Amino acid sequence: MQRSRKIVVLGHFGVGKTSLIRRFVEDTFSDNYKVSIGVHITKKVVVLNADDAVTFILWDLEGTDEMEQIRDAYLLGTHGVVFVFDVTRPSTFQNLIRDIEIVRQKIQGPPILVVGNKTDLIDLEKLEQQMLENTIPYDFLTSAKTGNEVEAVFLKLATLLNEDA
Amino acid sequence: MRMLEQYKQQYLAGNIQFAIVDPNGKVLDCDQHVLPIAPGDSLPDFHPFFECITEISKGAEEEILLNCVHLPGKDSEVIADIHIHRKPEGLLVIIYDLSQHYNNYQAVAQARNESIIKEELIVLKNQELEEREKFKNTFIQNFSHELRNPLGSMLSITNLLGNTPLTSEQRQMIAFLKDSNQNLKLMLEDILSISMIATGRLALDQKVFDFHKFLELIRFTYSAKAEQKGLSFALEIDDKIPERLTGDRLRLYQVLTNLLDNALKYTEEGAIGLRISLNQRRANKVYLRFVVTDTGSGIAPESIPKVFESFSRADAPANVKGTGLGLPIVKGLLALMESEIQLHSSLGKGSEFYFDIALKYPLPSEEAAWLMESPATYTLPPWAKKGKKFKLLIVEDDEGIQTVLFKFLMDTGCFYIDLIYDGARVMEAVIQDQYDLIIMDVDLPNISGKQLTRLIRGLPMDPLKSIPILGLTARAYEQNLAGFRASGMDEVLTKPFENNTLLNTVFTLLK
Repeated sequence: MQRSRKIVVLGHFGVGKTSLIRRFVEDTFSDNYKVSIGVHITKKVVVLNADDAVTFILWDLEGTDEMEQIRDAYLLGTHGVVFVFDVTRPSTFQNLIRDIEIVRQKIQGPPILVVGNKTDLIDLEKLEQQMLENTIPYDFLTSAKTGNEVEAVFLKLATLLNEDA
Repeated sequence: MRMLEQYKQQYLAGNIQFAIVDPNGKVLDCDQHVLPIAPGDSLPDFHPFFECITEISKGAEEEILLNCVHLPGKDSEVIADIHIHRKPEGLLVIIYDLSQHYNNYQAVAQARNESIIKEELIVLKNQELEEREKFKNTFIQNFSHELRNPLGSMLSITNLLGNTPLTSEQRQMIAFLKDSNQNLKLMLEDILSISMIATGRLALDQKVFDFHKFLELIRFTYSAKAEQKGLSFALEIDDKIPERLTGDRLRLYQVLTNLLDNALKYTEEGAIGLRISLNQRRANKVYLRFVVTDTGSGIAPESIPKVFESFSRADAPANVKGTGLGLPIVKGLLALMESEIQLHSSLGKGSEFYFDIALKYPLPSEEAAWLMESPATYTLPPWAKKGKKFKLLIVEDDEGIQTVLFKFLMDTGCFYIDLIYDGARVMEAVIQDQYDLIIMDVDLPNISGKQLTRLIRGLPMDPLKSIPILGLTARAYEQNLAGFRASGMDEVLTKPFENNTLLNTVFTLLK
């Protein structure tokens, strides 16, 4: 059985949301940073097992420093959220708990996965230690550039949504 | 009116598309102005964005506006605002093509975001560099602090050994040992100086001093040093320069000796020199130019920028030893004095280092208060020779320093000495025995010298609470010394210290 699920990818600007989606959907990466405005929507089928697959409709939202500014219309009918931050820029995760709280108030119910991106630019072991020391509540540390853990994020989300279904 | 409608058609209609769709997103009717869709098409099949139609049709909202949605147009991407209205026939979808407007906005957002990210990364990079620099300087400070204790022991024990009966061969070895210790001490001081300059912990100590006497000391020292190397040393002083000036004598001495030592190092024949001229005299300041010259190997033009970098020894021959810190120290100290070192050099002919500084000349009242510094030589004061012995308590956890202090002070025959390793036992000893003086390491393991001093100063018994306390520390920074004095210590000596300095201080405090 194949279902469609709307997944919203959000976070501050420049954290690599578009790159993360591009890596997941097309398995490509570009170092050129093009600012996303508004919303880009793409589609990808995630196969959970031989009998089960889910179609992700991925909404890549324009990055913002203020989560309150996300337009509610974009979030209508959301099944899952991927909140992305940039591990190299503390400004994108220093208010992470508050940011997630605001997103949770806007979308009540759906699972939210917190993803630290751009791990290729930093020592992963040190980063994990730093995240632990600063109690940054992340679910995945990814690199859209190398592809590390990108697939795992969406598989996890698909599994969570499957459990909820 | 008809004309106006025509214009509206021309300029607006091409950018707006209307479609009526059923709850599953199937197009019931539409025009084709923006997106290539036709009646009968499925919008969700055309683009996944329209999967939201099903969700909207289930909801209660009468209308929904979704801004800035990227969709595939007839020829290229369209960026549109999509307005969806609930109507009796189904959903009315109005698509406003605002590509031009949003593309302009994208360019502005691109520039703004790039600039913010760039600025943020620069701040982070600077923070990282500052942290690394801080770590390096803290490491150097701690390391030199740790080196001071064993170096102090080595200096003192070498001096003590030199005073015992020795064969001539042993005397040579002691002389070599003394020389090596002295070099080590100088290098340690260089490293400390450079780290203090780098961390901004070095402050100038402006005092009145005899400028001509100061230069005489330099003349005496460098004439001897130059002669040892078969060179000559010339000192030229403008006689219009006042005798007494106000400035940091020690730091100026450090600048000049570093430059002259450098000149000596790189000169194998000929001469080195120091020339001081009066540039101008204004208000109560004299503006002086100091020029240090040599006829040495010179520096290649491409190496000149490097000579003031720490640990860089541009074009240094293998036989010339040193840390490469002398000139960076000169540069740092002169920056503190609001001056800058300049250099002219010709390869094979020699170099000329020069700088300009302003020194104040003292007011008559300041000059009257000025006291000549006396050299630190050790002679027992007459009142100490009458057979009276003083009772000293030495609190020191480092065995090497403890042995040196004990032996040296006992050898004078002027003291009874009690030794305590553990700071926790000090109060008990102070109350039980009447000491004339306490010599205390300020960096004790369990309780600090500052805490102990405060406890002693807080005792209710008058003779006890005013016992003179001499602190010993390896932390040479001025703010540390001030902190120790503020805790109630009468005097603080920085390790390593000369035995004579120690004894003179002890007698000054006992008197």
